[in-house]
Amino acid sequence: MNPAFPRLGVVALTNPKSSNTFLSSSRAVKIKKMSQPFSNNNNSFNIGNTINYAAPDDETKILTWLSPLEPWVRHRDIGAERVDGIGAWLLETREFRRWHDASREDESNYATLFCDGNPGVGKSYIM
Amino acid sequence: MVLLIGCDNSSLVIDKLCDEAGEGDTAVMCFYFDFAARNEQSPVNMLGSLLRQFVSGPGGIPEVVVRDFQKQRKGIGGRGLQVSGILKMFQAITATKRTFICVDALDECEPEHRMIILESLRQILQGSPNTRIFMTGRPQVRSEVEKRLDGAVVFRSIQTQDGVVKYLCDKLRNDTTPEAMSNALEAEIMKTIPEMNSETYVEASAKDRLPWVGG
Repeated sequence: MNPAFPRLGVVALTNPKSSNTFLSSSRAVKIKKMSQPFSNNNNSFNIGNTINYAAPDDETKILTWLSPLEPWVRHRDIGAERVDGIGAWLLETREFRRWHDASREDESNYATLFCDGNPGVGKSYIM
Repeated sequence: MVLLIGCDNSSLVIDKLCDEAGEGDTAVMCFYFDFAARNEQSPVNMLGSLLRQFVSGPGGIPEVVVRDFQKQRKGIGGRGLQVSGILKMFQAITATKRTFICVDALDECEPEHRMIILESLRQILQGSPNTRIFMTGRPQVRSEVEKRLDGAVVFRSIQTQDGVVKYLCDKLRNDTTPEAMSNALEAEIMKTIPEMNSETYVEASAKDRLPWVGG
């Protein structure tokens, strides 16, 4: 599992002697189908017989089918480099507020906010 | 609640949107264009990536996506995704949710791809009126954005000085060799560097010291 994508897997808290699973019922059924039996699942591990961690193959396949790209890696890298407070002024501008506060009925003309700037002005760091 | 996977990181707009999402039914997704990866960042992969982030939340993968996945498996060798298919899934699962899509460096997207992506975003906005898009890019793509999105765009220019000054202040404050710095040198740095234009930064190979160069 890609460590940069920590929510890819599913954490299921289970009682090994019962089928109780502390997840929504539909989710639990899906996990049960995908990972049974746990003892044969190479993608799961146990902690003290109370927590099973499963990365169902189908879920991973669906996500990869949707896209192989991982923009959160770039997001994480930029976040690590960013100096706190850079671009904070943007949140106070009339343009940002207009875009941010627009509701569907009355201000659909402000559905997109485009911030332009020359190379090097720090556009990525205001994301 | 659906949240972008990278919400724990330090960012500006995305952090604000994630903070506000709280326990509400809000989704925040992002994409960073990169000229070096322009071939991989096709419209299908880009839009699919947004959808992937959307369905990766704690709610699990929606049935409509699972169904489409199973359907395509029946084709010989499996059928690839198409933009139209992504847009249908997008509309089905985002129609009633407040959704924020953040896209960086639109100018680094291939022009042919950009045309398709902007048209797709327009359709997403049309089909999901609760969706908001935040984009950054160089000024030369501004008119294209306005045209493709039917003029429903608010524009804001980003100036160099804000980021540079904050960055310099941070570096000077955390200087590991303060004994080598004098008041005069510090004043010169604070005066000279913000006055340099962005092309000069690139020419000076300042990329390592000014990490936003190119962004």
